[in-house]
Amino acid sequence: MRGFSFKRWSRTTFGVVTIVGIVFALTTLAIGIIAFEATHEALEQQLDHRIATETASLIDEGDDGPDGVAVAIRRREAARSTASLDFRLVDSAGRLVAGSLDAVVPNKPGYIELLPYTRDGEQRIAQSLTTLLPSGHRLLVAADRAVIDEMDASLLKLFVGAFGVMLALGVGAAWVVGIVNRNRLSRIDTTAKAIIGGDLGRRMPVTGAGDEFDRVAETLNQMLDRIAALMDNLRQVSSDVAHDLRTPLTRLHNRLDEALATDDRDAQRQAIEAATAQSRELLDIFAALLRIAEVEGMGVKAQFREMPLSELVDSIVETYRPDAEISGHILMKSIEPNLKLVGDRRLIQQLLSNLLDNALAHTPPGTTITVVLDKPSDHSRIVIADDGPGVAQEETTNLFQRFTRGQRSRTGNGHGLGLALVAAITTAHGGKLKLTSNPGFEITVEL
Amino acid sequence: MRILIIEDDPETLGFIARGLSELGHQTVTSSDGRDGLFQATEGGFDALIVDRMLPGLDGLALVRALRAAGDTTPALMLTAIGGIADRVEGLEGGADDYLVKPFAFSELAARVQVLGRRQAAPAEPSRMAAGDIVIDLHRRSVTRAGQRVILQPREFALLAELVRNAGRVMTRTMLLERVWDFDFDPRTNIVETHLSRLRSKLNAGFDVDAIETVRGAGYMIRSS
Repeated sequence: MRGFSFKRWSRTTFGVVTIVGIVFALTTLAIGIIAFEATHEALEQQLDHRIATETASLIDEGDDGPDGVAVAIRRREAARSTASLDFRLVDSAGRLVAGSLDAVVPNKPGYIELLPYTRDGEQRIAQSLTTLLPSGHRLLVAADRAVIDEMDASLLKLFVGAFGVMLALGVGAAWVVGIVNRNRLSRIDTTAKAIIGGDLGRRMPVTGAGDEFDRVAETLNQMLDRIAALMDNLRQVSSDVAHDLRTPLTRLHNRLDEALATDDRDAQRQAIEAATAQSRELLDIFAALLRIAEVEGMGVKAQFREMPLSELVDSIVETYRPDAEISGHILMKSIEPNLKLVGDRRLIQQLLSNLLDNALAHTPPGTTITVVLDKPSDHSRIVIADDGPGVAQEETTNLFQRFTRGQRSRTGNGHGLGLALVAAITTAHGGKLKLTSNPGFEITVEL
Repeated sequence: MRILIIEDDPETLGFIARGLSELGHQTVTSSDGRDGLFQATEGGFDALIVDRMLPGLDGLALVRALRAAGDTTPALMLTAIGGIADRVEGLEGGADDYLVKPFAFSELAARVQVLGRRQAAPAEPSRMAAGDIVIDLHRRSVTRAGQRVILQPREFALLAELVRNAGRVMTRTMLLERVWDFDFDPRTNIVETHLSRLRSKLNAGFDVDAIETVRGAGYMIRSS
């Protein structure tokens, strides 16, 4: 187990939410302290104000004389309520003149915030104002601080409570969010580990809630599907290569065996010639495979130049015309002039050449082969169509894959790489391929 | 011809050197790029055969260095299969021809013959003759023994290539490259078909075949 690291912990969901919770709780506490201070101060000021008003009123009623003040005090005390103020009037010698407040009257006039006094034999604290009358008497007016203390206490309770609740909520939320996230991530983690372990068919769980976890899971699943498709393709290609090379290699081996076994020079020569032809075929397959791989690798894009597509298509059609005539095919063309294309001239030539090779090789004499070049949209379109027997509908989807041959051509020559190369060249040029056969055979290349 | 072969694979090197010696050429071999470049700069060769991948200094850099030094000895570059870009790089780097391994020896021999001629005739005349065949490149006209022969453009290009290299064998691959600019071998026999049409037009009314088929190698027009 690794040691605890605050930095690492603070980056977990639990850590982040906990920190946010604590910050909220501390903010609540700070607001509470400020509110408490402000309320406390306001209450003290309010008491001071009451005391001052009452003092002024007593002096006013007493008409500046201590006796009048004493009368006013007695009148008030007679009508006293619990919330009322307490009074004490003493003469210059400190003797009690009036008032029931049981406290030592300070010598100096002015406010005293915490004045101890006794009521009903109980020590209490009051807020007070001492006023020196012209006669030398001192008037003490006091208000019990119990009100402020009670308010302070209830405010304190309220804020501490709020702090506690915020803290608990914050940490609780952190806990819950942390556990939920951890559970969902651990499902993804478990799936990923299963895939690493070889269970390649596994996919990330999608809850259907459409939340961010689902979106990540879906993206990961798409990525896994893509990788799986590529791997399948690779596996297919390698097994096809091994399978399709076995036949010519066996033939080559047999021919050489024949050559060794015979003493007849002519037979030997024939066998060696056949073996050479076989090895040539093998090399052709390798060359075609390497070329497909190279074109698929997209490195060819660096060689792309603008080229006169119309002239190129026309020239290839004319190149094939004598052969088409000899094999009894009818070759028609409809080429829109002056079309240009940015691409690799030799690759486009090979694309056209492969398609024409196929059309001539796989259709009976008398078939009409039509080559059309036009530009119906911003893409140039090459259509090579024939009115021959075509291929079965279920075969059309696989024809662009390596080593796929239509049923009719399986017995004939050709290694099933021509259309795969056509597909690779089209893709390298950012184009699209379409194949239809019902019957007849038509390939559309959009570039 | 005196030919320098720079190739690091001893088997290929032996195969090429033996074959060329049998044809009467004088060969010098080297199996390292640096050593090969040193020998090439010594001069006195009619042609160079340079492998693309070499220890010490690769074939492309070697040819570039030679050309930068003003040496114009014709060079044929050899390369392993694949590499569409390699071919273009090689030719742009100063190689005169490019041959993909594995190759038939007849293919190499034919190309070496044609390379040797190149240095001798730098500027091409507009009128060329081979035996009784005369072609005019500007007017695109052909006569055989004074008689006009009407050819299709491709047939004309094919004949021009043969006449340009009269007396030397042109292989099917060379013709595909030079006449059609194909760097691949189509399944359809376009070279054979065009040649047979060209032949029938050239030979109409004559007893002697104008174009000679060299079995297992290619085609040739006799220079006289």
